[in-house]
Amino acid sequence: MKKKTKFKRRDLMSWLVMLPSVILFAFYVWEPLLENVRLSLYSTIRYQTIDFVGLANYSRVLKVPDFMAAFKNTFSYTFWSLLIGFFVPMIMAVLISETVHLKSFFRVGVYFPNIVPGLATIWIWNYFFTPGPTGVLNILLGKIGIAPQVWLNDSRWTIPLIVITMTWKAAGSTALIYMASISGISADLYEAATIDGATIWQRIKNITLPSITGLARTLLILQVISVFQILYEPMVLKNGGPNNASISLMMLVYRFAFRDSDFSGAAAMSVMICIILILLSGLYMKLTRKKEEY
Amino acid sequence: MFFKKYYDKRDGAIRGYDMHSRSSRVLSVLIMLMCVVMVMIALFPIVWVFLAAFKDIKDFNTNVSLLPSHFDFAGVAKTWGQLKFSKFYVNSIILVVGSVFCAILFNGLLAYGLAVLKPKGYKVIQALVMWSLLIPSTASIVALFRNINMLGMSRSFLPLWLAYGANAFWVVLFKEFFEELPTELLEAARLDGCGTLQVFLKMVLPLSKPIIMVVAIFAVTTSWSDFLLPYLVLNGSGKETVMVKLFSFKDTPTNAVAMLRAVMFSIIPPTILFVLFQKQITDGAAAGAVKG
Amino acid sequence: MKRRVAGLLGATLAASMMLGVAAQAADITVNLGIWPEDTLTDEITMHEGFLEKMKELRPDVEYVPAYYKYSTDTFMPMVEASTVPTVFESWFTEPQKLIKQGAVADITDQLEERGWLDAMNPAIRELLSDENGRIYGTPRDGYALGLMVNVDLFKQAGLVDENGVPKFPQTWDELAEDAKAIKEATGAAGLCLLAKDNAGGWHFSNIAWAFGATLVTENEDGTFTANLASDEAIAAMEYVKSLKWEYDVLTADPTSEDWGTGFTQIATDNAAMYIAANDAVNQPTAGNGMALENLAMCAIPAGPGGQYSLSGGTPYMFSKDATPEEIDAALDYLEVMGKCPVVSDETVSGLEADAQMRKDAGIPVIQKFPCWINEDFLAAEEKSIEENANVDPALYQPYFDAVSADGLRTEEPGQTQDMYAELTKVLQAVLTDESADVASLMQTANENYQTILDNAAPAAE
Repeated sequence: MKKKTKFKRRDLMSWLVMLPSVILFAFYVWEPLLENVRLSLYSTIRYQTIDFVGLANYSRVLKVPDFMAAFKNTFSYTFWSLLIGFFVPMIMAVLISETVHLKSFFRVGVYFPNIVPGLATIWIWNYFFTPGPTGVLNILLGKIGIAPQVWLNDSRWTIPLIVITMTWKAAGSTALIYMASISGISADLYEAATIDGATIWQRIKNITLPSITGLARTLLILQVISVFQILYEPMVLKNGGPNNASISLMMLVYRFAFRDSDFSGAAAMSVMICIILILLSGLYMKLTRKKEEY
Repeated sequence: MFFKKYYDKRDGAIRGYDMHSRSSRVLSVLIMLMCVVMVMIALFPIVWVFLAAFKDIKDFNTNVSLLPSHFDFAGVAKTWGQLKFSKFYVNSIILVVGSVFCAILFNGLLAYGLAVLKPKGYKVIQALVMWSLLIPSTASIVALFRNINMLGMSRSFLPLWLAYGANAFWVVLFKEFFEELPTELLEAARLDGCGTLQVFLKMVLPLSKPIIMVVAIFAVTTSWSDFLLPYLVLNGSGKETVMVKLFSFKDTPTNAVAMLRAVMFSIIPPTILFVLFQKQITDGAAAGAVKG
Repeated sequence: MKRRVAGLLGATLAASMMLGVAAQAADITVNLGIWPEDTLTDEITMHEGFLEKMKELRPDVEYVPAYYKYSTDTFMPMVEASTVPTVFESWFTEPQKLIKQGAVADITDQLEERGWLDAMNPAIRELLSDENGRIYGTPRDGYALGLMVNVDLFKQAGLVDENGVPKFPQTWDELAEDAKAIKEATGAAGLCLLAKDNAGGWHFSNIAWAFGATLVTENEDGTFTANLASDEAIAAMEYVKSLKWEYDVLTADPTSEDWGTGFTQIATDNAAMYIAANDAVNQPTAGNGMALENLAMCAIPAGPGGQYSLSGGTPYMFSKDATPEEIDAALDYLEVMGKCPVVSDETVSGLEADAQMRKDAGIPVIQKFPCWINEDFLAAEEKSIEENANVDPALYQPYFDAVSADGLRTEEPGQTQDMYAELTKVLQAVLTDESADVASLMQTANENYQTILDNAAPAAE
């Protein structure tokens, strides 16, 4: 009897210790998610809700002229970031793991872009991509006799180039995570493989890469979630242009909310982004799980 | 000499015994060259900023060269004064200090609850926190901004500081560290009559310096770089941070060189921090692997 | 939390006042969004002088510099966060939208008390009023678009008369030829065309008019019909396209040029011509270091459809959160700046200080387009300008000749900024893709803009 009450008090004390943090999580992470759903079902004037309107906001935002472009582009960002952003850090990690000289310099060097604030990197790359002879990349090309390129202004290249800037910033930190995982691989495995006559490439392919696939899977889904919400990179670089070539769904959310003060439209768009992401994650988990069964 | 060191190599596919073969030696050198190239690509844009910021506007706009024709130190100082960067630095530091405090205290407390105290029903919170890792955070910004305004918390650092107290990733880092702490020690402290909170403050925190360091470094760099919520909450309030200023260049006319100098000013503090703590920072970044 | 504490304090204060306890009047704070931008040092010095004066006139008020450049992308978040400066500048396209959104303060009573209402140009007064005749702003001045010209580059290309005055282009065709000659002679771009943000569409609408286009029509029932795909508008866009692909006379990347970079380009000898207004002559000179005598202005060239100069203006508007006392204090500041129809010692010295500052800072002191109609004020302003004249009138004569003729035309009605956004997208397409199909792009823009107009219609009721 006595013991039981004591337990309860201890539970209560523990909950009290956790309570402030739980409230913060509720306020910053969990509640806004539900709040978005609620807002998306009402008509609003600035941020006051007026009437319940059902799904009207959803059909409204779908009809916005820029929606299709933003929708397609967002998937295009995701595609390119998987193509470029996903493999580059893996390759970097494998390469750096295979060095002995200057290893910590390499680690620190490739990680450096990651501590440069994202906004600053975007402004820097903006100068790199300047078309015309004074753009930094064009100056470099000029030194090897290549004519100035228009970079982001070629709408076929706008998204891949933006993905490259994002990769430049983020790849180093992801590579360090892979490297930590690679250095945890038991040396016996490699030795056994060597005795069996495996070449270096075979060892990498059969031992190094398989041992980081679990990690890669987690990082992949996190990357999709973050790239799907791409916002400030195209907004700052080209304001979604040229002619909507880089506009993203989150940019539409931002415009709804903060340019047009249309909070219900912004909320409806946010909810759609979340639904797409839930579907993508679900699909992904289903696919990878099936693979494991075989 | 060069290849001898490979005999000490403890990770990766290439091992010392590969050095007998000529092709492996060539491969090792090639890999090293590729790493050098990677580092050059990583560092070049940053180095360029520190050079180009010393160009004057005409030099920058018309001269096809990477290096400034002369170093315009006075111009840089003038830009600092004109843009009032001292003020933005101070504001950024206020933001960073509060954010780091909140990041350590609140995430630490929650992790302590989940890893050590484990009160009845803690699993619900644990599951919610794990799910939070997957929640698209930017998509919530509209509702969050609205809530902050409805509570009348705009124009203040408070909502920005507290935002750092709810980071699922850092909770997980703390939690995994706390789970390794010797429980007997904590139990003993409790029997001594220390309250739950006191055990945390007097026993757990002092034992957790390494992980506090990691989270603090993360919190410093992210809060220094953070701009979206700070911009929405602080722009026009007189409390603009360096990044808020940098973001507002998107819509305000500024000449290219002043902008570039502002970019340089914004990366000086993180650069200094990185040079001082490079080992802790890169080790901390690798700690992210824990969650994989 | 802070709020709650403040609220509690407020309640105690109110209670103590009700009890008859003498309470000191709360200090009034005015955030001046009209403060000059950071790089305009001389203007800042002038405003610091105004602040000194305000210390004597309104010791009870604290005036805080809070430079804000209005932009459709930044304004609403500030409204929601209550960070809009007490008084700020906007554009004539904006008041109706801002009034409907409840984002600005009603200042009718304060203006009435000061007697400014009757002095206001009636057309402008209507622009700043809601349907009940309440007024939400006071005009700074008007502007009309013209062509800013880099005299040096014209000189180098031999396009000057015997007095060194540029031979200004009279038509858009001439402009293209001149631009080409300049590019060949100097390597600099002939024209800086904007295509980054809405300013691109803004400038383009003026070009389209010269080709005979009317971009939107207002119907009798108050709805609007977009007309972006007319033959004339398409011809205008084809012309712009030819500037890039046929003449190749634009700056390296029009899609990253905005209102501000245009001034940098013309000031740093990177471009010879730039569409800009008379109220922005401080930008290339004081803002970007261009020599006073290197700047000239002429009229927007004519096209097959005639010659038009887009005219608009800058209203002062007030934060929805501003109290009547704060608005009043802000209006006092405007009076000291001379931006009001009252002729008093203060306003005259404000006008004088402004003209003097421009003269000292190497900014052309040229005529403005006041929005007030009372003679005494107009005379006072005229006088301050004449006394400080610092430019060769020949360099500006063609501009003022054009804007005093019939060519002035106000911006298109409807959701003007959205129309500019649609046009800017087309500009980006035709300036980055040589094979872009102008007609179909304009057709798409037209459909998009019509959708936007239709969606906005219910809100307008």
